Amino acid sequence: MSAVRTGAPWQATGHQGSADPRRTRGELLRDLLARQETTLLLVIVVVGALAASRSSLFLDAQNLLEILRSSVIYFLVGCGAAMLIIGGGLDFSAGAVFTLAALMGSTMLVSEVPWPIALLGGLALAALVGVVNHLVITYWHVPPIIATLGVFYLLSGVDNLVTGGNDVLPLPQVIQDIGQGSTLGVPNVVLIALVVGLLFWFLLEQTRFGVNVRALGGNRAAAVANGLRVRRIDLALYVLAAGTAGLAGIVYSARVGAGQVTAGGTSTTLIVITAVLIGGVSLMGGMGSIQGVALGAVLLSLIDNALVLTEIPPQYNSIVIGTILVTAVAVDHVRRERIFRKR
Amino acid sequence: MAVDAPPALRLRGVRKSFGSVAALEDVGFDAHAGEVHAIVGDNGAGKSTTIKIITGIHAADAGDVLLHGERMALRHSAADAHDHGVSVVYQDLALVECLDIAQNMALGNLPRRFGVVLDRRRMEREAAAVLRALKVRVGDVRTPVGLLSGGQRQVVAIARAVRMDKPIILLDEPTAALGVQETAHVGEIIDELKAAGKAVICVSHDLDFVFRHADKVTVLRLGRTVGTRTVADVTRDEVVGMITGAVAGDAATAEVGR
Repeated sequence: MSAVRTGAPWQATGHQGSADPRRTRGELLRDLLARQETTLLLVIVVVGALAASRSSLFLDAQNLLEILRSSVIYFLVGCGAAMLIIGGGLDFSAGAVFTLAALMGSTMLVSEVPWPIALLGGLALAALVGVVNHLVITYWHVPPIIATLGVFYLLSGVDNLVTGGNDVLPLPQVIQDIGQGSTLGVPNVVLIALVVGLLFWFLLEQTRFGVNVRALGGNRAAAVANGLRVRRIDLALYVLAAGTAGLAGIVYSARVGAGQVTAGGTSTTLIVITAVLIGGVSLMGGMGSIQGVALGAVLLSLIDNALVLTEIPPQYNSIVIGTILVTAVAVDHVRRERIFRKR
Repeated sequence: MAVDAPPALRLRGVRKSFGSVAALEDVGFDAHAGEVHAIVGDNGAGKSTTIKIITGIHAADAGDVLLHGERMALRHSAADAHDHGVSVVYQDLALVECLDIAQNMALGNLPRRFGVVLDRRRMEREAAAVLRALKVRVGDVRTPVGLLSGGQRQVVAIARAVRMDKPIILLDEPTAALGVQETAHVGEIIDELKAAGKAVICVSHDLDFVFRHADKVTVLRLGRTVGTRTVADVTRDEVVGMITGAVAGDAATAEVGR
């Protein structure tokens, strides 16, 4: 059996066929460097250093918190989107689901429904859209990108129709306190993202469901041949993706104090998918991590923030993000080519 | 062979068409526990279709599939076949490249703790134990399958079927992608499975391999069973003749008793 690369861990002779979890420090370091997350962290440090050198405001605690706060919204949507893409799916409807759930939750809040019920109402409506996405894809055999894009347009129209284009406000003080307040100095929205992020990390990395999702995205035919209930997993993934989009919409409403018709939309859909891909989730399915998505989301809001502080015209924002996106995906491809050999 | 015990696997008069194309017209054979039963035939003879009907990927149009004497529904699922004691190594191996060896070996049946948490340790321990028992050297069980060579992938796929510990093991072209040494290793594993009392059904192109490891050989030609022979009593030339049609086959197997 031929070796792949000299010194690679899989040809080490010390633990042939063993489940020995101990690895040498060199192997750990190599594994760490090979990950997209590490590259991403370096890029974040470099961009941060550049911004800090050109603006004294950048390293201000309030500014750093603001970067986190604005990345939270992308990250929340990104958790579900990443799971779905790792499982071989795609959801372009996220931006419209974001708005739909925000409007639903806000309407209920304005009608003096207690906030936990309003939250559940918004989430339930979002989940329903996830079910619809799944049904259209599975039973009408519409490719995911088309099906969810169609649902995106449809819902965008609905979002505007039901509100007449007007924002839903004012939201009760209690929900604004949650969205705008802090606990022990950490913004509540960041804490919410932390909890959701941990839940999704656990789901992806520590459960049978997570492994099945990677199997489904990595090789659908093999997943079927091994007896996985692929349609059930698909359904769960589309519901999770829509659910996190809805949650993000409601959290955003709480933060700004209104259900905005203009929140979400195409920009949210695209920024989230960008953050997920920059974070190392492969569009080919099977690979990616929640940590990566968190870094991707932080990087995007960091760039946004840094450009403003360094007084670089905002037009450059798109140019920078586009460049980073294409580079990240190209690097990911090269990495894959080097890791996975053709049989 | 034991007359009273029903064969581990019995096929009779199995037919299957895909649209207007008849893939199988009349396939039948008996495979017994503790035997290696080879299925040979030219391309398009119906070998893979036969395997997929047994495992429930395809539904037969007519005929009988009996597992340990129990008749399976024409349309049975992969899970049904699994529950009736069948494990299978597909020709395309059905491995997920981005998952590691241990995960691939447990796929569809991942061990859990407390009902939710993936029991990674147990998964890796079991995988390592099976690989060690098969004398397989593929390195760390945490190695992604995408890093393995074709031969290594083949043994991982076989190891997965062995891990399930079912009485019937189907192998579809287990040596097609392998070199000499790896083929010999797969042969050893098959011998060991036989010694452990499994019914091993092996589709193969490789007559050398068949004559070295199989006890019985069933020849398929154009979707029909030409005949089943005991390997010790048949010459290579006769089997080749049955494959090409130069040697006439037995009577039809259809018309099931019962």
